[in-house]
Amino acid sequence: MTYADENQYLPPGPPGWPPARTEPWSYDAYARQTPSHDADLAALRSAYRVLRRVSTLTVLGSFVAYVALSCCAPGLMGARVAGELSLGMVLGVVQLVVTFAAVFWYGRSARRSVDPLARVVRDRAVPAGRNAGAVR
Amino acid sequence: MNEFGSGTQATVLLLFTTLVTVTLLMCVMAGPDRDDLENFYTGYLKLTPFRNGLAIAGDYISAATVLSTTGIVALTGYDGYVLAVSTALSLVLLMFLLAEPLRNAGRFTMGDVLARTMPGRAVRVAACVVTLSATLPFLVVQLSGAGSLLTFILDLPHVTGARTVCIVIVGTLMIIYAALGGMRGTALIQMIKIVILLGTSTAVGALVLNRFDWSPGAMLRAAQHGSGAGSAFLRQGLELGTSTSERLDFIGLQITVVLGVACLPHITMRLYSAQDVPAVRRSMSWAVGTVTTFCLLVIVMGTGAAALVGSRSIAEADPQGRTSVLMLSQLLGGAPGSMATTLVYSAVAGMVFITLLSSVAGMTLAAASSLAHDLFAHAMRRGRAQPRTEMTVAVWTSVAVGAVAIGLSILVQNWNVGVLTTLAFCMGASAVAPALTYSLFWRGFTRTGLLATLYGGAACVLLLLVFSKAVSGTPAAVFPNADFDLFPMQSTGLVSVPFGYLAGWLGSRLDHRRRAADSREHRRLYEESEARLLAAAE
Repeated sequence: MTYADENQYLPPGPPGWPPARTEPWSYDAYARQTPSHDADLAALRSAYRVLRRVSTLTVLGSFVAYVALSCCAPGLMGARVAGELSLGMVLGVVQLVVTFAAVFWYGRSARRSVDPLARVVRDRAVPAGRNAGAVR
Repeated sequence: MNEFGSGTQATVLLLFTTLVTVTLLMCVMAGPDRDDLENFYTGYLKLTPFRNGLAIAGDYISAATVLSTTGIVALTGYDGYVLAVSTALSLVLLMFLLAEPLRNAGRFTMGDVLARTMPGRAVRVAACVVTLSATLPFLVVQLSGAGSLLTFILDLPHVTGARTVCIVIVGTLMIIYAALGGMRGTALIQMIKIVILLGTSTAVGALVLNRFDWSPGAMLRAAQHGSGAGSAFLRQGLELGTSTSERLDFIGLQITVVLGVACLPHITMRLYSAQDVPAVRRSMSWAVGTVTTFCLLVIVMGTGAAALVGSRSIAEADPQGRTSVLMLSQLLGGAPGSMATTLVYSAVAGMVFITLLSSVAGMTLAAASSLAHDLFAHAMRRGRAQPRTEMTVAVWTSVAVGAVAIGLSILVQNWNVGVLTTLAFCMGASAVAPALTYSLFWRGFTRTGLLATLYGGAACVLLLLVFSKAVSGTPAAVFPNADFDLFPMQSTGLVSVPFGYLAGWLGSRLDHRRRAADSREHRRLYEESEARLLAAAE
């Protein structure tokens, strides 16, 4: 038998990430859908979380590193790499160009990891749901 | 200054009239039915992902992005490049982090997203207040800029009267677009705008590179020379300075832009009108592609302006460099008075004009929707308003928001109100972004936490900004002669973003302790709606 509470304890993420939820207080179990529905939702939740964290941290991390380097190491970023082009300019333009690839990668990963799980959750919810068919 | 004959002015005027007529016609024809709310707020979910993506990009690239960012690139070089990168990455961040759950959680406005787990009037009112305080300053700064911009383009005398007339005309058009067109009408205008914008700026970028035989090295050499700053043009520091605190300020500004710009309500509002999650993903892919391409073009155009026009002339015409694109276009066609010159200049003028019109219309619509949907229909009528009544209210709030914005813009037109752009970004990063991320991803988030984030973040931004260097103490400030700059920075993000997140966390902890039943109820609502949030399952 699975209780709603088990929802809190997700499959472990990659090492080094903070634990998902650490509220010390517990709460009652509520009437919910079937146990397997909960498992599906948990799988979808963790798939989304991995995708979201990897993509967001990559974008934010690379940008913060770029800005911090520009400010703290102007000599390095001002070094000429080709003709008048400095390293900082090249990195800036490269970030913009890489964006296209990142968006493509995100769409592909989302189609592979998240969409099938979302479809399962949606299909299970439809028989129980009131307005099947309508998306919202 | 503008040294063209009356032929160019006539062409530009003709172009403006055509643009206004065509867009007005399309807007009215695409407008919603009288009593269909879904149609007014989302446009019936009928847009294909490609078109919706163009509309998102159109809303995202405001007149401030086109004019100010190009100007900053032209005047400060490297700092401007960083700003262009952060502008593009902000939308990427929205796509990766918020877009999909936002689309599933929201219906019409930001208030719908926030009130989904904690219903109540206080939440709706707070959502409306923050929406207004983020969109109205942005609206005012663009409208008040419209006055000096149009007098520059049309070569009218630079007096207050002429500028006021321009502001009133642009403002009236903006009200008509927003009130009659709704989301569908403004989406159409945004699409037309983004096509014109990308087409024209690609042509300008190509003409610039052609001047330098397609050699970036030659262009950069000329830009360093034209800027008068030498190799400093290609290093960080021309915009805000190179001391430690000024560099910290620069980092703070860029992080605020990355976190805040894409969270602004007029952009997230477009996401709710996507059909499903794959559609919102494809829409955002198109939007990010368009915006990134445009940001690359901004870099080329700004550098070209520094190289060909020269920083001194740009700063003489406008200290913030907002006329640099127009001045660049005057030089690209060849001999003054020739056919090519007229053509290039008219195209760029038309691009600026339609960008200005569409971005102010989008912001008016977002503010008016929040007033009508959050404040009137949910806070005042507790969700029992008739759709027909709400529609009528939405139309009239568009008129009211527009009228207030016109009045404020006329009042502040002689001041340097660039700080209002900073205010909008900081509101987005310090109040909207924390509220949305907590509400979507943290099930322990409670009502007190939400109100603390929204009001606390907004108040922190306002307070710090009033005492910042952007308002007093520097020559470029709003009050250059006054001296109450206690907060030694131009933007407040470094303090106010952590403050917004901290306020939300502390408020929620307080609720867990003091009102355990309430916070359990919020958690239950979050978990009930989680299938909808993640999978769009009802």
